[in-house]
Amino acid sequence: MNVIRAIQLYIDKMIADAGPGMKMLMMDRETISVVSMAFAQSEMLQKDVFLFERLDSARSNERLKYLKCIVFIRPTRDNVLRLQRELRSPKYGSYYIYFSNIIPRTDIKALAESDESESVQDVKEVYADYLPVNPNLFSLHIPTCLQALNWNPEALERATQGLISVLLSFKIRPAIRFRSGSTAAQTLAKKVHETINKETALFSFRPPEDGAAPPLLLILDRRDDPITPLLNQWTYQAMVHELLTISKQRVDLSGVSGVPKDLKEVVLSTEQDEFYANNLYANFGEIATTIKVLMDEFQKKAHDQRKIESIADMKNFVETYPQFRKMSGTVTKHLVLISELSVQVGRQQLFEVSELEQEIACRADHSTQLQRVKRLVSEGKLSLANALRLVLLYAMRYERHANCDTSGLLKLLQDRGGRAHIAPRMLEYISTVARQELFNTVKITDAVKLTRNLIKELKGVENVYAQHECVLKGTLEEIVKGRPLDAQYPIMGNEVPFRRPPAEVIVFIVGGATYEEALAVHRYNQEGYRIVLGGTTIHNSESFIEEVLAATAGVPFKHSRSLQQFHQAPAGTA
Amino acid sequence: MWVLPPPDGPAEGQTMANPFDEPSPGGFLLAGGTASDTEILEGFLCPICKSDLRTPERLTVHVEHEHSEEQDLLKSLKEIFQGILSKGKKKGPSSQQQHQQQQHQQQADSGCGESGVAVGSAGAANNPLLQSAALQPVGCDCDHFGYFKAVRNPRLERYASETNKLIIRLDKLLDGCPAEPDQKKRHEQSKVPWIDGKLVKLCPSCAKGFGITRRQHHCRVCGSVMCDGCSLYLSFDDAYRIVQPNPVSPNDAMGHPQPRQQEQPNADVEANSFRVCEHCLHLLLNRMEMQDSRRDRPPITRLYDRLRQERADIEPHIPMYQRILDSLYEGDVIFRLSDASALRERIGRSAERLDSISKAILALAFATGSREEALKKALRLACIAYIKERMLAIPPLPVEDEIKRIQQRKRQETARRLERERLLALEAYERYELNQIASGGAGAGGDPTATGSSSTSSSSTASTAEMTVATMDNWSGTQRGPSATVVTSDPLLDQINIVRGYIRQAREAHRFEEVATLERNLAELTQEFYHRQRLDGGPEAGPPLQAGP
Repeated sequence: MNVIRAIQLYIDKMIADAGPGMKMLMMDRETISVVSMAFAQSEMLQKDVFLFERLDSARSNERLKYLKCIVFIRPTRDNVLRLQRELRSPKYGSYYIYFSNIIPRTDIKALAESDESESVQDVKEVYADYLPVNPNLFSLHIPTCLQALNWNPEALERATQGLISVLLSFKIRPAIRFRSGSTAAQTLAKKVHETINKETALFSFRPPEDGAAPPLLLILDRRDDPITPLLNQWTYQAMVHELLTISKQRVDLSGVSGVPKDLKEVVLSTEQDEFYANNLYANFGEIATTIKVLMDEFQKKAHDQRKIESIADMKNFVETYPQFRKMSGTVTKHLVLISELSVQVGRQQLFEVSELEQEIACRADHSTQLQRVKRLVSEGKLSLANALRLVLLYAMRYERHANCDTSGLLKLLQDRGGRAHIAPRMLEYISTVARQELFNTVKITDAVKLTRNLIKELKGVENVYAQHECVLKGTLEEIVKGRPLDAQYPIMGNEVPFRRPPAEVIVFIVGGATYEEALAVHRYNQEGYRIVLGGTTIHNSESFIEEVLAATAGVPFKHSRSLQQFHQAPAGTA
Repeated sequence: MWVLPPPDGPAEGQTMANPFDEPSPGGFLLAGGTASDTEILEGFLCPICKSDLRTPERLTVHVEHEHSEEQDLLKSLKEIFQGILSKGKKKGPSSQQQHQQQQHQQQADSGCGESGVAVGSAGAANNPLLQSAALQPVGCDCDHFGYFKAVRNPRLERYASETNKLIIRLDKLLDGCPAEPDQKKRHEQSKVPWIDGKLVKLCPSCAKGFGITRRQHHCRVCGSVMCDGCSLYLSFDDAYRIVQPNPVSPNDAMGHPQPRQQEQPNADVEANSFRVCEHCLHLLLNRMEMQDSRRDRPPITRLYDRLRQERADIEPHIPMYQRILDSLYEGDVIFRLSDASALRERIGRSAERLDSISKAILALAFATGSREEALKKALRLACIAYIKERMLAIPPLPVEDEIKRIQQRKRQETARRLERERLLALEAYERYELNQIASGGAGAGGDPTATGSSSTSSSSTASTAEMTVATMDNWSGTQRGPSATVVTSDPLLDQINIVRGYIRQAREAHRFEEVATLERNLAELTQEFYHRQRLDGGPEAGPPLQAGP
């Protein structure tokens, strides 16, 4: 199960169906991201697709009747109207229309009635309606999905469509489970379940062989694990996202000083960049070593370049030119990224911050931790964002502690001009389940969990910066081991729950996934499991805090009455 | 499931065909077993540590991790499993690449810590999550074109018949239309019956009442009524083009529709065009456009077609070049260095042609900032990338001396093997004769050399059949060449000479696929010939023919 491959297959099929000839691709705002995350533009050129156009933006009136037009759009009302207009006065010779999701029949009829010059050659639904981020990770690019801790209706619709398209692109009719206690997860599970039952013709796949468990779609809620997105990560992809922000495979480096002109925006794609694909999950330290090796190799080649003396040398060089240029591009790109990351690490004192973050997340030691947080927050060397994150972690961890001094910390933060009002919002955001289970504040009754915790403590810490394990990891462990899930993850509908572990798992996190969770999934996949992770979006701490603020806007304060003085945001900020 | 036979049993098809060859090191053969070890192991076994890995993927990963030094084994494993996994599935070359890439990535990612195969606890075998995935198929789709056509086509037919009616009328109108306005009007009215204006109180398109200031006008093609403001005009030029779809006048060849007359009519327009209603004009112009776009073949499309043709021609030669090189480095005598250089030159020339065509495309003049300008740039870019990545990236020619050295070594090896083979055969034969003497006579069917020769003769008939195919292909004319004059008594020798002639012709025509096939046939034939010679003239008869001219 490779989401990038799934999208690539769809795009290849569209292009193949249009047959030989010069082609152009017409997309909308969202599908253009889908295509660009699967293929580079140069790859599309090799497939004889030469022009790219947006259906929803102003376009010239030039007629190029010798071009075949592949239309790949989402089945929205607006798109259908625009396409109708296009078909009434067609600019291209023939049209091959692909909708990225289920489209109502009435829309097909409207389009057919607009095609007066008989230029449409194909109309199909293909289910490439999600952004493939990594082979095992997809996003729906919904930045904030909740309002007043419930679904924003548009986001719910989009999430349902996205999940349906993921299922169809893998030809899966799953059993659906959701995190019990999460209304958002339950609502989405219900919607997906309803759609599957409505579209029986589409979901009529051959059932798995006798006795095999059906694939599993597991819908989780970010509110159950608000810790993971707040922690500093030390793997390459996660770090780049946290410190520089990856948006649709692109990293904006225009704000970084000393960056060469052509690297103001770099593309990080596992498909086109072998180095990136190999080091996605590598530790910061490991990458530095790897890049050194790459540099040496590069220098060896660059040295060769200087040694060109004869014509034969030159020819040899030109013959290796494509690889050479590719490599040099890769080296400079990652060098720039890595050096910027290490600058940030130094400037933000990330080693110290990260260690404390991990301590708070994994160990209960109130007084020492409070002292350290106090010192770091008040010292003023720390950036406000990092200080805020420490306070947030502390506030969640010691919410019920007798000597909890969240308000004292917030006071310090506020004095420095930090956004203290976020802390009470965060306390409202986290779910009851998280409150009870995240820090083992209630007595553990589950024997298995108890022993696992004991073992963890006995084993000691291998890496102080990676002690924390995301909740998803434990969940996956239970799934692959075939433990009973019904209590925590009830099944949707009246299907008979299977005791055996499913063959394929798709996990979807309402409220956004993180790259740390992608790493957890990757580790399982390396062992031979088949798991795909998705989220309404891919969060770093900054975007997560935005999501929390949007989700809790207008929610009455229940859990954080004691922090009343911080409820109001200072004037001018949201 | 792979069944491991006891070590002394027949192992693979390859070893069956040549019983004297060494057993191949790859595959699943447990080479280290002793003769007493007759236990048969089953499953996806690692050939080195003999543990059962249960699935092909895990076996591959295991070998990658644990026995990374055995690159040959890894390669053969991958080949075998790829074959198995792709069986019965259509699989493009790109998906194969992808698969390899994934495996490669897996290999590269393995630095992350846990060795993927160590998880093989007893329960894992039953865990479907661990079972291998076949190659990913393309996802679902849902075709709406049937319904689309069911809605569209009746409408199109209705439009088509209506348009045809209008065109017939237009033809009548154009036929002998007088230039003088009054006569023109009478002419028009005589061809198309006009609607009685008294019945129409309001203009049908703008719904304003008719009166002294807003006069009634008639569409000349359908005869309906409209006001002046709603009237449109179809110029005579356009009208002629619609009536006669195959133009003779040179300005029609431009293929660009003339700008429509939308402005207020003046006397000039009135004289050179027909007043028509919006509906008729739309139908007629639509028809005209469809005719135009069918004819429309601007230079860029012709150049693009040449580009595509050139690429399609050279595409199969690029992997062929690689194969020739591989074969040369292997020390095979099927191809010669000159073949590689000829092919390389051909690829180079093709690259030059592609380059010049794409330059011609770039030189086409289009308005700046237009889509067509973007298109020509994209075409050129695609072409440059193709040339760089596919055609110039091919490895350089090997050095002749090196190839000679490799061939020399290979020839020596072959000679040694042949010698050993012959000795073994001789021994076997002697042993057999002894046995025969001991048992006192036997049937010829049991003769090992006889079975050997029957199998090769069947292969030689196969090659003859292939040759007939080749004859039917295209260069059957001068099939025999100089060897035709040498009439030998041995049909096998004849055959060999014919095949050599073919090879020469194929080589001249750069059809290296066929060279390879024919060379294989030739090798079989020579081997067969050699066998016969040995049988006839005794073991001391030296090989009369060398493989390869």
